[in-house]
Order: sequence, then C-alpha cells, then structure tokens
Amino acid sequence: MTTSLTPVLQVSDYSLAYRAPRGKIPVINNIDLTIARGEILGLVGESGSGKSSMASAIMRHLPGNAEENAGSIRLGTTDLRAQNERAMSDIRGRRMSMVFQDPATSLNPTLRLGEQLAEVLIRHQGMTTAQAWREGEARLAQVGLKTPAEMMRRLPHEVSGGEKQRVVIATAFACNPELIIFDEPTTALDVITARQILDLFAELQAQTGVASLYISHDLALLSQTANRVAVLQKGTVVEQEETVRLFRAPNHSYTKALIAAAPDPDKRLVQPLEESGTPLVSVQDLSVKFGRKSWVDSLLRRDFQPVVGNQAITLDLQPGEVLGIVGESGSGKSTLAKAMTGLNRFDGLIEFDGKPVRGLSDMDRGYRRDVQIIFQHPDASLNPRQRISEILGRPVRLYGGSGNPRERIKSMLERVRLPAHYIDRFPHELSGGEKQRIAIARAFLSNPRLVICDEITSALDVSVQASVIDLLMELHRDTGAAYVFITHDINLVRQIAHRIAVMYRGDLVEISDAERITDPDRADYTRALLAAVTPPAFTHSL
Amino acid sequence: MTDFLGRLLRTPQGFLGCLIVGLIFVAVLGGHWLTPFGPEDMQALARYKAPSAEHWLGTDQYGRDILSRLLDGARSTVVMAVAATVIGTLGGAILGTGSAYLGGRADEFIMRTVDAVMAIPSLLLALLVVSLLGSNSANALLAIAIAFMPSMARISRSVALTVRKQEYVSAAIARGEGSGYIVLREMLPNVIAPIVVEMTIRVSFAVMLFATLSFLGLGAQPPATDWGLMVSEARQYLHRSYWILLWPSAAIALTAIGFNLLGDGLRDALNPRT
Amino acid sequence: MSASYILKRVALTFYTLFVVSVLVFGITQILPADAAVMMLGENATPEALEALRQQMGLNDPVWLQYLHWAGGVIRWDFGISMRTGQPVGPALFSALGTSLTLAVLALALMLVLAVPMGIIAAVRRGKLADLAVGFLSYVGVSLPEFVTATLAVLLIADFWGWLPPAGYIPLTQDFVGGIERLILPVTVVSVMMIAHVSRMVRSELVDVMHTDYVRAARLKGLHPRRVLFRHGLRNALLPTITIVALDVGYLLGGVIVVEEIFSIPGIGRSLMSAIQARDLPVIQAGVMIMAATYSIVNFAADLMYAWLDKRIQYD
Repeated sequence: MTTSLTPVLQVSDYSLAYRAPRGKIPVINNIDLTIARGEILGLVGESGSGKSSMASAIMRHLPGNAEENAGSIRLGTTDLRAQNERAMSDIRGRRMSMVFQDPATSLNPTLRLGEQLAEVLIRHQGMTTAQAWREGEARLAQVGLKTPAEMMRRLPHEVSGGEKQRVVIATAFACNPELIIFDEPTTALDVITARQILDLFAELQAQTGVASLYISHDLALLSQTANRVAVLQKGTVVEQEETVRLFRAPNHSYTKALIAAAPDPDKRLVQPLEESGTPLVSVQDLSVKFGRKSWVDSLLRRDFQPVVGNQAITLDLQPGEVLGIVGESGSGKSTLAKAMTGLNRFDGLIEFDGKPVRGLSDMDRGYRRDVQIIFQHPDASLNPRQRISEILGRPVRLYGGSGNPRERIKSMLERVRLPAHYIDRFPHELSGGEKQRIAIARAFLSNPRLVICDEITSALDVSVQASVIDLLMELHRDTGAAYVFITHDINLVRQIAHRIAVMYRGDLVEISDAERITDPDRADYTRALLAAVTPPAFTHSL
Repeated sequence: MTDFLGRLLRTPQGFLGCLIVGLIFVAVLGGHWLTPFGPEDMQALARYKAPSAEHWLGTDQYGRDILSRLLDGARSTVVMAVAATVIGTLGGAILGTGSAYLGGRADEFIMRTVDAVMAIPSLLLALLVVSLLGSNSANALLAIAIAFMPSMARISRSVALTVRKQEYVSAAIARGEGSGYIVLREMLPNVIAPIVVEMTIRVSFAVMLFATLSFLGLGAQPPATDWGLMVSEARQYLHRSYWILLWPSAAIALTAIGFNLLGDGLRDALNPRT
Repeated sequence: MSASYILKRVALTFYTLFVVSVLVFGITQILPADAAVMMLGENATPEALEALRQQMGLNDPVWLQYLHWAGGVIRWDFGISMRTGQPVGPALFSALGTSLTLAVLALALMLVLAVPMGIIAAVRRGKLADLAVGFLSYVGVSLPEFVTATLAVLLIADFWGWLPPAGYIPLTQDFVGGIERLILPVTVVSVMMIAHVSRMVRSELVDVMHTDYVRAARLKGLHPRRVLFRHGLRNALLPTITIVALDVGYLLGGVIVVEEIFSIPGIGRSLMSAIQARDLPVIQAGVMIMAATYSIVNFAADLMYAWLDKRIQYD
C-alpha cells in the first residue's frame, strides 16, 4: 500500500500568529513535523513556546484572531487546511483525536462517563445507543478499568483522577484513529497514577500502532516515551532528533540548557549538615481536623466525622537543615505547613528553639519573625494592589533592623537578582519567576531561622525553577536558615534536602536520609512512590 | 489615575456610561443656570405645548417648562438615589464584612437573617418603611437605603470571604500583621473595587425605586419636580399631550442606563490584571 | 441530595418566615394607627374604645400580642380587616390567585423569550444579534414598571386601541376577555426579568462554551448542535435556576405596581390600599403571603438545582 509510505501527519513550513490590539504576536514559526505510523513524536517546550497552539492548529480549532501562513498540515493524504468546518468535524474524533491535560476539566461534569464515550461511537461509527454502550464497556475494559459497566453509569466526580483519564484515553482510541495528540496527559495527576497512565499509553500504542504527538514540558518523561523529540523554543523547533541521539549529544544550546535544568538526584546541591545536639523545631503529635458538628448531626444523632488534615505528626528539624516533604495531593503536606505558620488550628505541640507553641496565641512576634512561609503561586501571594516597595517594606517595618528601609529593600532585591528599580512596580508588571523572587525576598527580609517553602517551584518552568532553586540554596548557605521544602517533585527534593519525609493521606509514613531514600528496606508506599518517578533524562539514556 | 480613566473610556460601556452620567451631573450641578424658566413658573397661555424653540421639550398642564422641571428634578431624583445607594451600601458592607470577620455561628446567624429579610421584595420593604415614617422624599431615601442593605450585605460578605482566602492575606497573617493592617491595607483595596461596581449599578435601581415610590404617591409630593411624580401626574393629561409623559420617562430610563453602563465599564477597568 | 440537606433547607424556610413575621409585626406595631379608633370612628366614647382594646387584646404586652397573631397565622387565621370588618384570609387568598395567574404567566413569557435570546446572543457573540440583545437588555433593566406600563397603555390601548387599557376578568369567566386584559400587565411585569435573565443566560453560556469540556466535545467531532445543547446549555442553565428564583422577589414587587396601574384585584392592590388605609391585619397578612411565596419558590429552586447538579455534595 502506498499509504504506509506517506506519513500519518505532515506539517510543513507552518507559521501561526495571533492578532492583538498592539500588533501581531507570532506563536509558531516555520515548523516542520512528520509522524509515521506507529511512531511517537515528543514535542517539548516551556510555557509560551507554542506547543499547545500547535495542537490546536493540527486539530483545526484555532481562535478567531489566528493568522496562518501558507504552510500545510496533512493527515495522510488529506490536506487539513483545505477542509471546511463540517468536513473537519467528521475527521475529529474519527481519524484524529486528543487526550487533554486535566481529566477533571475535560470531562463534562453533568454527563455520565458512558454517554461521553458512547457519543463518539454514535457520531462516527453510526452505532445505535445500545450498541455504543456495549462497545463502550469493552473499550473501558481495554483501558484497564475493572468494572466497566458500572463505570459507564458514573458521573465524573464519582471516580478518581486516574480513572477519569482512562475514560478520556478510551474515548480518544474509540474510533481507532490514525493520529492521537496527547497534551500533557499526566501533568495533572499524582506521581503513581501518572506512571500507571504512562504504562497504559505504551501498551495501547504498541497494540494499535497509532501515530502519536506527545506534548510535554518534561524532557525526562519524553526520553522514556518518545521515538523522536522536537524541542520547541518560542515557536521555533530548534532541534529535532531521535530520542537516544538527542539526549546523548544535544546540539542546540537551548536543548542543553533544558537537559541541565532538570533536577538530578545524584547531583546534590546541599552541603552535609553539621550535627548539633538540640533541634531547632520539634513537632510532637500535631493533628489538624476540619469541620464542625452541625445541628442536623445532633438532631439525627449521627456521629460527627471531622475531616482529618494531619494525624499525629511528629518530626524534628536541626538548625540549618533542609527537610523535604513529599506526597501526593491531599496527603496533608500543605496542612502541616499552615499549622506551623498559624494558618490552621492544630492539636499537639510545636517546640521552637526550646519554647513550646500550642496554638495561635503562643506565636509571638519573635516566632513570626523566625518562621516564614513562601507559597506556591506568587500571583496569589502578592497583593495585586500593592507596589513592591510596600510588599517588601512590611517585614522591614514589622521586625525592625538597622539602616534605611528603602535601601535595605533595594539591596535585598539585588540579593534575589532583581534590578533595584523594580521597587516601584506592581506585581502584575513582573514575570512568574520574578514574582516568586519577590516572595522569597519578603521571607528573607526578616532574617528567619526557618523558611517553609510550599511547592514554590511547581508553577514555574524548568529553567526558571532551576534558577529559583539556585537562589534558594545560595540563601541557605549565606543565612543558615533551616528549610521545610514541600514538593511533589521527588528528583528535586533528593537534590536539595538532607532528609525526606513521606506523607500519605494525612499520616507521616517515614522520614529518611535523602541519600538513603532508595534503600530496599523503605516503607512500601515510599518504594511505590520512587518506582513511579521518571529518572532524569541523561542517566537513563547513557 | 489617568491610566485608570483611559482604561475606563476605552470600553464602549465605560465611554457611554461616563458620557451619560457626566451629562446628568452637569444637569444636577448647573441645572439652575441652564434654563430661562423656573420649575414653578406657570404660563396660562402656553399649556400642553409640543417642543418648540422656546420650550425645547414643551410645557405641561400648567404651562410650566418641562425642560426646566426635568433639570430641577435631576437634583432631587439623582442626588437622592445616589445618597440612598451610598447609605445602603455602607450599611450593608459593614454588616456583611463584619459577619465575614466574625465567622462561625455568628456569621451563620447574621446571614440567615439577612436572607430572611430578602424574602420581602425590596419595593414592598420600602413601601412599609415609608408608610411607617410618612410619605416624603427624606423618608423615601431612608426606605431605599434600608431595602438595599440585605443584598449589599450578602455581596460584600462574599467578596470579603473571597479576599480573605487569598494567599496574600495568609502571608500577612503568617507574618504576624495586626488585624488593623490586614483589614485596611491588604483586604480593603481589593474589596472596594467590586463593591463600587455593584454600587454604581445599584444607583440605577435606586433611581427607579425612588421614581416608583413617588409614582405610587409615597415619595415626593406635588408640586415637587421629582421625575416619578411627573410621570404620575402626566397620566391624567395623556390625551392632551403625551410629551408631558414621555420626557420624564425618558429621563428616568436614560439615567438608569447611564449608571448601568458605567458600572459595567468600571468592572472591566478596575481589574488590576488587565 | 441527602435527607439532611432537605431538612436544613426546610428549617431555613421556617426561619425565614419567622424573621419576616417578627419584622412585619414589629413594623405594624410602630405604625401610628389605633385599631380601636379606626374601627369605631373618631367620635367613639373613651369607654367604648377601651372596651374594644381590651377585647382585641391591644393592652396586652407586645410579645403576647405577637404570639396571638402568629398563632392565628399558623391556623390560617389572619384576623379581621379594620376597614371592611371581614376576615382577612379568604379575601387575600382569592386575590393571591389573581396575582399568581399574572406572575406565572409573566414567568412563562420570560422563560420563552429570555432563554432563546440569551442563547442567540452567546452563539452569535460580537455579531449584530448579540449587540441587539445587549442593547435591549440595557433598556429593559432601565425601565421601571410604571414607565413601561404607562407607555404601553398610551401606545397600545389609547393610541391604537388594540387592547383594553385596564381591568381584570377571571379566565374561568371569560377566557378571551381575560387574556386580552392580561396581555399588557404580563408583558410589563416580565420586561425587567427578560432583560436580566437573557443577560445571565448569555454570560453563563459564553463561559461554559469556553470550558475545557466543551472544547473536548468539539474536538471529538460532535455535531455543533449536540455540543451546544447537550454539553453547553445544560450546564449554563443550571445557575439560571437560582437567578430566576431570586428574581421572583423582584417580580412580586413589579406585580404590586402593575396591579395598581391596570386595576387588577390582586394581592398587590390589596396591599397598596391597606398601606394607604393603615389596615394593619391586611398589611401583615399580605407581606407574610408574599414572603412565603418567595421562600417556597426559592426552596423549590434549591431542591431542583441539587437534584439536577449531582456534583454538589450537601451535608
């Protein structure tokens, strides 16, 4: 057959821009991509690189202000750019389909999962409703769901994130398409679930031989899944190569920088801890519960079950120590951080520098100064209506210190490697990484002894993340402050932490030395977690 | 500030709203000097006149110049409506933010009671208050202010709770800021914007409610130039001249549209992130 | 939807009625009106007045008077009208029937017009149809009922003579004549709601059509009609239920004005004349009935919402 020689997807010399009030914004510049049958092409890039726009362009689902050049996008022998909307709706879902990033938002919350799967079969395969539901059950069994018939009848909120994503994948494979676009399909999932979805992807891909475009920001992940990888920087493909060769010998400086920025657990960024006898912080039997008994509960004589955020957590922290806390979402990592900074009520005891803290009233000005917290989203943690001068001026005014406040703020800005003239700007005039540096500066202006970092790099791109971590470790060396570093990125925490605490559903599973987290005698959950982590790209390919 | 005005005028709603509300305030402030006739001047020979060069909008059943009466009425109608809205908003905002601040069972009690009061239609609540206090403009103002309080309390509470959950407030608490600073510097600037938007839109409701009370005979009393009262009086002379009816109706509608547009324009312009 | 949610919601409805009853009773207590004087006239002897006060319990402490009154309300006994000397309940309930005819028709007209207008505006966003709907809704929310009503009577009844300018005939008596007289009032009452709800439907639908799941539905190649109706509209109309229920409060206010202008013997008109005559029992009963109507509609809307949107976990 001649069709086996023509690639499934061929994008040649394609450019895209968006019209804006202040002129055109180029998004994609002269891109060439080809995917053959059975092949997986990885498309990697940071936010704003145009990788999602590329997916929209291929699906022919562009906003009204899009402007394209004469380049072509062909699916097999079909010129997609020549198709009208009606013809495209016949192609979408049948000849090419898509798996989205967050299954929580890509499934309609008020329709049964079965209907959302069956409607594709009804539309494209001409099945009756009854046929489509039977076929749907078979498809759900194929994606590893144990009780497909029951799953079909459920609503999205009644199943877990991983199960939802399996349904989305089943829908994408439903009509045996030639091409499937995977747009960060595991980014919104927990580590272990993500690993299971990746395994499922590999299995289905091998079974069906579908051509896949796998979009991701995660080079390490692509090094395991893709046959070839295209590196996208600001709308331009700077390098496109067989996966093995790309990682062995990257050509372009941007590729090299991306590879270098990915955290590598073997490259430790922290000095060994000098042993000191007395801990800085000692948390004893700390529990957090949410909710309150309502009068309806009393009336119906029901037992009131509070939601448990933390269950009797006990841990120590040495002066200058970096303690990593890992766990999936809902494991109680942030709840612990909030309790330690007086944002959640708690039962139990926190001993800070020998002084007991049993509740909010014990957190005096000294404690507030010594214990600082940095949040995940700088957008939310910096007041949009205050200038940087006021945001950074508060800790100076609150905790005092010598010198002109404005000069101190300026020198702190330089310490976090921001220009001093940013002092008169508003947060929305800064980029995401810059905003997070402001949040870091705010925490360090009070000369704290403990800084709690709550997922502070999760919202940032890889390269920005690397530079923020650099800054954080430099401040650690200079100030000797202890860190509680909360994250879901296990490779990263293995680089920077002395010890790692693993949490699961509000419980502390165990605490281990960072170097010994891979030991075989670790707890079951810890081993499952580590097994699910994708190792950094270079160690894998060597 | 100029930056903010620029953003406001760039949206079509903001531009039109500013234009209409601006014209209304010119009428309110300079209405006296703008017309050759007094609002009470009767000309027995010039009754029921259609619009002409002398009387731009015509004359009414006593031969009074309608334009002069409208401009004079702008003062009472619009100023009263704005005052009622401001008082109602302040009262509601204090109740709502106070409730949000107290939290827990006190919050639940206050808000359930506010919900309960909202079960009485605001026009009816205003009617009751006016009948309690007596029919005149000042009491109508108070009645409208009271009728607005429950819904404004609800809105300010939800805005305050949203802001309260923001991480910059958490950051301030973790930093050990006093509640004075947190409320005034961290929360208030972010709470005010949406409340001002809501308040602006409410002014148009107040204008209409005020006119309705006067129309029903429970607000301003003759010979006042209140627009609602003018419509009410004009109904008897419908078959002689419909201009008497048309102009005050148009004035009410235009004012209400103006404040509605301005509110929508402000909503876009006050968003700091756009 | 759990039993405890329904239980809570029922309790809330009763609490609402309790608060309204206290409020209404309080206001009518302060009103400067002496029931005894009103019933016997200015020339009654002090002894006769005192005897009547004693008999009506007007000398009891306020809380006892409240309990008497509230106890009566629970047994559907709203007292005796001070103006007519007749029991308040039966007269008001027949008036309520008239008002409900008006309100339900207005609600139906609103739904028939506002929902399609909102959908068209959202689908044709930025196009002429959208601008037209937007313009109409700005004008609609800016016209008080008394202005719309007066203009409608001027134009349609007086100028063209198409419809009678006022009056009311029960539909059971003369259906055509009844409907003829209801067209103008129903239209006038619904204008403001049409404007408000069409705007809400538009903005909800625009938001929903930009969600990930609607994008996913489009990228599955589904027919645009299915994307709009099955995936978009269903989710956009859910919040509209709550908005419409809250607007019922506004609708009831509009009913008062419209009944006054079109001389419809409904509860609004009874309330207006009771307020002017300071007929306390009628005012109390009228306000209670209006608040109860509003509470019941909102109770039903909340249950409907909870039943339709199974995501919400009430506890």
